[in-house]
Amino acid sequence: MLKAFFLFFLFLSALYAQSYSFTELRYSDAIGKSMQLDGEITFKKEGLEIKYPKSKRVLDYDGEEISFFEDGNLVELPSEQISNMMHYFDILKLLHEGDENELKSRFIIKKLNEKTLLYPTNNLKYYIEHIELLKKNSTLKNIKLFLKNNDSITINITNEIS
Amino acid sequence: MKYLNHLLLLVLLLVGFLLKEHIHISTNLLSLFASKESVEKLSIANHLGYSKEMLIAVKGFSKESKQNVREITKKLQSLQDIEFVQFTLTPSQDIAEYYKKYYPLLASFQAKKLTKKEVQKQLQTLYDKQLHSVFYTSIDKNDPLKLFHLELTKSATLKHKGNMIVLGEYGYLIRVQTNIPPSEMGRAKRLYDEVQSIIKVFPDTVAFAPFFYTVENSAAFKSDVQWIAILSSIVLILIYFLLLRNIKLLVETLVTLFSSMVFAALFATTFFDNFNVLSLAFGMSLTAVSIDYLLHYYFHNFYESKKRVDKNVLYGFLTTLSAFGVFSFIPIPIISQISFFALFSLSYAYVVFSFVFPYLGIKSYTRTTEVQSASSGKKISALSLFFISLILFSYSAFHFKLDANIRNLDYQNLSLKSAEKLFKDNSKSSLSPVIVEAPSKELLIENLHILKHSVSKSFSLASFVLDKKTCEQKRDALKQYNFTQLRAYIEDASLKVGFRDAYFKDAYKFAEKKQEYKLPNLNIFQSFSLSAYNDGKRWYSIALVDDAQKAQTLPFVTDINVKAMFDKSTQQMYKKLVLFGSFVLVIIFVLLLVSVRKKILYALNYILFPVALSLAVLTTLGSINIMHLFSLIILVAIGIDYGIYMSNSKKPTHTMLAIKYSLLSTFAAFGVLIFSSIVALNSIGMVITIGCVAIYILIKVMR
Repeated sequence: MLKAFFLFFLFLSALYAQSYSFTELRYSDAIGKSMQLDGEITFKKEGLEIKYPKSKRVLDYDGEEISFFEDGNLVELPSEQISNMMHYFDILKLLHEGDENELKSRFIIKKLNEKTLLYPTNNLKYYIEHIELLKKNSTLKNIKLFLKNNDSITINITNEIS
Repeated sequence: MKYLNHLLLLVLLLVGFLLKEHIHISTNLLSLFASKESVEKLSIANHLGYSKEMLIAVKGFSKESKQNVREITKKLQSLQDIEFVQFTLTPSQDIAEYYKKYYPLLASFQAKKLTKKEVQKQLQTLYDKQLHSVFYTSIDKNDPLKLFHLELTKSATLKHKGNMIVLGEYGYLIRVQTNIPPSEMGRAKRLYDEVQSIIKVFPDTVAFAPFFYTVENSAAFKSDVQWIAILSSIVLILIYFLLLRNIKLLVETLVTLFSSMVFAALFATTFFDNFNVLSLAFGMSLTAVSIDYLLHYYFHNFYESKKRVDKNVLYGFLTTLSAFGVFSFIPIPIISQISFFALFSLSYAYVVFSFVFPYLGIKSYTRTTEVQSASSGKKISALSLFFISLILFSYSAFHFKLDANIRNLDYQNLSLKSAEKLFKDNSKSSLSPVIVEAPSKELLIENLHILKHSVSKSFSLASFVLDKKTCEQKRDALKQYNFTQLRAYIEDASLKVGFRDAYFKDAYKFAEKKQEYKLPNLNIFQSFSLSAYNDGKRWYSIALVDDAQKAQTLPFVTDINVKAMFDKSTQQMYKKLVLFGSFVLVIIFVLLLVSVRKKILYALNYILFPVALSLAVLTTLGSINIMHLFSLIILVAIGIDYGIYMSNSKKPTHTMLAIKYSLLSTFAAFGVLIFSSIVALNSIGMVITIGCVAIYILIKVMR
């Protein structure tokens, strides 16, 4: 559910770029283990596309619908998952357009050395504890999401593709 | 004695000044047309925010449009008469807290009994997802098997793109709740000006609120009435100064008319709690009918004669008085108020014209050159004209179409209408508002739930708040479910699957707690245009339904569709008007019979023919509105006098001359309204002008 949301932060420092590759490290408190995923995200005029090349999985959002492909085959997702993702994909899309005011309207923003801490003020606060952004040479390199259930997700931006 | 007329006016003005604290004039036009119950319900609807909503659309979905939405919102929030501004669908903190507090009861609960094996299978799937799914799956340690599901209620009326509210494909939408009561013109004008000054700097931004019509149309109304008043004065001056060459007569007549109006206004505002400004305006216009008495006296040199009473004028006055006397009892506020006013104003005018004017030293009428022979030209019999009137009535009856839409009477504000159309065309909702009521807050929720189950689609507080029955059912379902056993299965299976020890130790404990449910503050749902109002006796709320007719069959539901209300009350009004009108016609017929005897048909034609001709023309041109009907009453009042004068006249040429001048005066008072761009005024002008033409035809051609 939160995946789409945090992916957005990849682009905070490079709002007009189109495609990025990233590494995602998830820690699950329930099983006490982490998993890693490598992917690419591309912003399109009306939506976005996320690819996981290793697992041949593609997530395509055209602004209206979300389609999920596994090995080129369309896989049906639970409606609850779709509606949650769409909600956050819209935020992602809006913010990709560079809407910093929107960001300020949803988070309390604090600076701590090279880190920027975002504390949600709206209903996201029921799921997200806070978000940590790390910039190096004015470029966003690392994002950490600390969730209410003690899970965490770390995104490392490896490079800009185009 | 020479200044008696002026003295009387001074006395009346003094009385008016002394009683000014007790004079209340209502500006609520609705109370004149809709039933008392409908007016009460609309007043409640206003308390609930209905019709106080303002919509602002910013064209496009660009970053700039979004920025404009935010800037406009910020500026609007600083205005005094704005309750709240909304441009996103984000539920308020209060609603989120409400969902959180009553989660076990508000969420749907899948009460399926699970076996140990099934639990292990589900946990295994969950575990696998944590390690292999490309989607992050959050594990809820309180509800790992997802037995509870809470679907957040979405607005039934608002479309959205992402989290922002949109107006179809037009652009972003800002929803504003104002606290402007419909009757407060000053505040409405101030807010209107403030909003216009905010949005004018943002390109492609359109605002609309129902009160914009009041503000914009009243300005148009004012300018229209101003030039019509000038036109009316010019015509009156032409009649009195250029044709009659008697300026004193003009001054004394105007003083008398003004005194009559003050006299009647004092009585009417004392008698009626909510005497309306529209009734006052109409009543004042009706006072001008009394000019007939004066002109009849004037052209028959009554003031020089030793006679104390002119029987014709007295009969005319008494017949008119009887008609308005009956109409003052009609249960249609506007007609009863106008009739009541007319009773007093015409009586005052009659007394002054009859008994005061002889002492004012008015020069008698001496010019006789304009008096033409009454017997010249071909004439048509009264019987033929009576049949022509009947034919015209039959024609009108076949083409009769009633326009019940009160809005059509207003100034046709095309720019605002197109703004309203933009919002309506792009609106998502096809649901109609109804008011639901109950003696208590709890019963209100019960009733809203009954309504929810009675119609196929609805949106109300019942979409958010539980009723007692559902609450009990949910409690029972939770109580009966064996969460302790399920937790034991989960703890056992989770260890086998590979979850951390005791990770699910508190699973479903939240559902085992005693579930208390207290009705929330119902006004926290205002962002969904839903709230509750208590008038001290009963509780009310607005619900949106797909079938208002069906909903209305429930005893606690009232349709507040203003158009439907007016349609209903106009139909009822029409029936009552027909009933009282028939009664009045019988009285007029009897009184005419007494005063004109054998010439009854001749006198009756002065009422029937103008009304029939007006109706025939109006039904040919389009539909009949309520103002046409009121104007026909004025026409009847005029016709009675002329019928009696012409039937009993011993000097028909003088009477004809008096009537001609009287017709010109009537045209000056009402007929000029035909040039107005406001439909209500234009309608009056149209009827009176046709009526004047019809009477002129009668005096020329009837024998």
